[in-house]
Amino acid sequence: MRQDDFAIDNCLKCSVCNAACPVFGVNAQYPGPKQLGPELERLRLEGISADTEWLEYCLGCHRCDMACPHGVGVSEMIAHAKAKHHKPLVRGLRDWWFARPGLLGKLTTILPAISNFALSMKLARFFMSKVMRITPLRTFPAYTKPNLRTPPARTSEDRARLLFFPGCFIRYNRPDLGRKVIELLERNGFATEVAATECCGVPAAANGDAAQAHAMARANVKSLVAGVDAGMRVVTACSSCGYMLKTGFGGLLKDDRELAPAVQKIAASTLDVGELLIAQSDAGMLNTDFQQANMRLAYHAPCHQKSQGIGRPWFHLLRQIPGITIEDLDAGCCGMSGTYGFKQEKYKISVAIGQELFDSINASQPQMVATECATCQMQIEHGTDFKAIHPVEIMLQAYNGKII
Amino acid sequence: MESNHYDVVVVGAGLSGLTAAGVAACQGLRVALVATGPGSFVLGSGYLKTQEILAAGPADELSEAIAFFCEMAQAAGCPFEGQFSSSRHLPTILGDFQSVTFAPRPLWNAEPRNDTSTAIVGIRELSYFDENFMAERLSDQARLLGSSCTYSARQISLARSCGAPTTTLRIAKRFDYDAGFRAELIEALRPAAAGFVRVLVPGMLGLCSREQQIAQFESELGCTVCELPTLPPSIPGLRLFHLLSRHLSKLGVELLQGFPVSKLQIQDGVCMELEVASPGHPMVLRGECAVLATGQHSSTLLGVDCNGHDEQMHPLTSSGSVMAGNLFVAGTALPGSSGSSGDVMEILTGHRAGSFAAATRGHYAAR
Ligand code: SF4
Ligand code: SF4
Repeated sequence: MRQDDFAIDNCLKCSVCNAACPVFGVNAQYPGPKQLGPELERLRLEGISADTEWLEYCLGCHRCDMACPHGVGVSEMIAHAKAKHHKPLVRGLRDWWFARPGLLGKLTTILPAISNFALSMKLARFFMSKVMRITPLRTFPAYTKPNLRTPPARTSEDRARLLFFPGCFIRYNRPDLGRKVIELLERNGFATEVAATECCGVPAAANGDAAQAHAMARANVKSLVAGVDAGMRVVTACSSCGYMLKTGFGGLLKDDRELAPAVQKIAASTLDVGELLIAQSDAGMLNTDFQQANMRLAYHAPCHQKSQGIGRPWFHLLRQIPGITIEDLDAGCCGMSGTYGFKQEKYKISVAIGQELFDSINASQPQMVATECATCQMQIEHGTDFKAIHPVEIMLQAYNGKII
Repeated sequence: MESNHYDVVVVGAGLSGLTAAGVAACQGLRVALVATGPGSFVLGSGYLKTQEILAAGPADELSEAIAFFCEMAQAAGCPFEGQFSSSRHLPTILGDFQSVTFAPRPLWNAEPRNDTSTAIVGIRELSYFDENFMAERLSDQARLLGSSCTYSARQISLARSCGAPTTTLRIAKRFDYDAGFRAELIEALRPAAAGFVRVLVPGMLGLCSREQQIAQFESELGCTVCELPTLPPSIPGLRLFHLLSRHLSKLGVELLQGFPVSKLQIQDGVCMELEVASPGHPMVLRGECAVLATGQHSSTLLGVDCNGHDEQMHPLTSSGSVMAGNLFVAGTALPGSSGSSGDVMEILTGHRAGSFAAATRGHYAAR
C-alpha cells in the first residue's frame, strides 16, 4: 500500500483485493473492496451519493490494501465513505456506544462489580440482544478498576524512558497486562511512563464515527507530543492502537495545520513492544535470562499487526525462548474486528471468517495460542477450546520460570 | 543473527521473484521476499507457451530453470505437466488454441483429443463466460487443427448456493472452504457430464486448492475436470501465487507483503540496506545481496536506472560499470524486456539471478 496516495486511476480492476477480502469470501452479497473502494469512489468524487449499507460490513482489516499490486489504499476509501454513511436509529445508537469503549470503560469502572454483574445478567443480555442488536452469544470482557499507573522512578539508574500508550482495553479491562508490559520493559532496561491518553480512535473509525475518532486523535496528540518532543519513544501493546498512531491516526489529522507536524513525529516515534524488543535483540541487548520452558505455541498475526509492516517480531522473539516451539498459523483474519463480532447482524459473518483460523488451531493442537490483539484472543477463545494470550505474558513468564 | 538481516532480499513477487527466492531458500539461505502484491502472472493462465520456450535462449540453462520451477510448483501442491520435447494445443480465453509446453495440471487436459467428446459447462449466474461461444469456437478451431474431437455446450445453475450474479472468484472461495458447496457443485455437474469423457469449466476450482483436493473432486464426479482460462481475475493464476507463497513460507522465507521498497542504499559498489515504506517509520532490511524483480516500472522509481546487465545479472550504470556487486536484476525489471518477456523469461531470469545471488554467500558478510 502506498501511503498518502489515493489516486483511483492506480486501480486496474484486477480483483486481487477481492480475492484477499475475508468478508467477500464468506458473504455472497458483499460487493467487495474493489467496488466499495475505487469503483464507488468515482461516483463519490463526482458528488453522486453511492451510500450503501454494505460499507458497515467492512472489517477494516486492510487485507485489500496489503494485497493490491498497485498500491491502492482501498480500505481508507471505504473508511471515509463509512463515516458518511447513514444508519437507522437503533444501529446508530448501538454503534455510538461501540465507538466509545473509553466512555463505557469510565462508566462501568466506577462500580465494576455491579456493571459486570449487569452485563452478565439475563435480562440485560436479553435487552441488548432484542433492542440493541448485540449478539447474546458472546460474553463481554470484564471491566475492572483502571489502576494502571506509572511505576515510581528508580532514581539510582539512568534508563531510557518510554511512553506507554495503553489503549482502552488495557486501561479498563486488563490493567494487569499493562503492568506486565511495564515489567517486561523494565527487565530490558527501560523506564516506562504511562501516557494519559484516550482511546486510540480505531473503534470510533470502525463504527463510522469520524467526529469521535477525530476528537480522540486530537486529545491523544496533545497528551503525547511533549514526551515525543523530549525524545521519548511511544510503545503500544495493542495492534490496533499501534496501527492508528503510526498512520497518523488513520490520516485523520493530516489537514490539520496545527497538529500535523506533531502527528508525524508521533507516528515516526511509535513502536510495537515486540518491534522494540526485536530491535534490542538485533543489537544484542535483549535480556535473554529465560528459564527453560516446555511449551508448544501457535501464533496468530492480527490484521493490524500485519498492516504495520514490521514483519513478525513476536513470532521471532518467542522462538528465542529455550523450550518453546511455535507455529505461525497463517490462517487469515479471525473475523472479530473489535466490536464487529458483537453485532447481531454481523455475528454469523464474523464466525464464518474465523473458521479457517479455528480449524488450523484445532489441527495444530497447541498448548496455547499467542496473539497480540485482545479481540483476536476473544474470537479464538469463542471459536475453539484453546486459550489465547498476549505474547508479553509468555515472555514475562519465561523470565520468571513459570512456563509449564 | 539480526532479525532483519538476510542472506538474500528479493523484491517483487512475480514469477521471477518467487523463483529467485525459491532458489536461494533451497540452498538453506535466509531469504526475505518483499512485495506490494502478486506479480502480473496472476492475471494469466499459467501456461508456459512453446513460442516463449523456443525464444528463451540456452537450452541447458532453460531446462534447469524450468525443472527447478516445476519441482517447486509440485512441492507447493500445484504441479505443472509437460516436457520439453513436445507441446500441445490448449484453449485460450478467445476460444482458439495456443501451443503450450508446460501448464498447471487442471488446465493441461483441455487439449483437443481425437474422437472424444467434451462438455463445456457454463454457469447461468456467471455472465462473463459463454459456453456456447466457447464450444462453437473450439469445435471450429479443433477442426482447423485437424482434430476430430467435438465440444458441446452445457449449462448448470448454482443460484441456490451462490446467488446471482456470481463470479469465478466467489465460486473459487466457496470451493476452498465449503465441503457442502463442493458436493452441490458435483451434483450440478453430474447430469451435464453424462456421456462425456471430460468436462471443461471456467477456472474456478479454488484459490488455494491443492492437487489432491482437485483430484478428489474429479474422482467424486467420476470424470476428468479441466479449467479454461477466463478474463482476470484468473483463478489458476491466483492459486499458483497462493500456493507458491505458502510453500516458500514453509521453506523459511520471510514474506513481507503490503508495502513497497522505497529506497536502496548503495555505497561504494555495495547495496547496504533496503527501506520498506511501512507506516510511521521505514522497516530497514539488511541483506548480503538483493534481487530486484520489481517489474518494469518500479525499479526506476527506486533510483536503479538500469542500463543493461552483465552475465551475472548485475545491473549496469550508464557508463557500463556494475552498480553494486551484490545487486541482481530479474524479470521485467531487466532493461529491454519491455514488460512482455512472458512467464518463461521470468522463470529463467529469476532462476539465474537467484543462483548468482546465492553464490555471493559470504562475500558481503555483515559489517
Ligand atoms: S484496488 Fe488494487 S487489487 Fe483491487 S482491483 Fe484495483 S488494482 Fe486490483
Ligand atoms: S478492509 Fe478488509 S473487510 Fe474491508 S474491504 Fe478490505 S479486505 Fe474487505
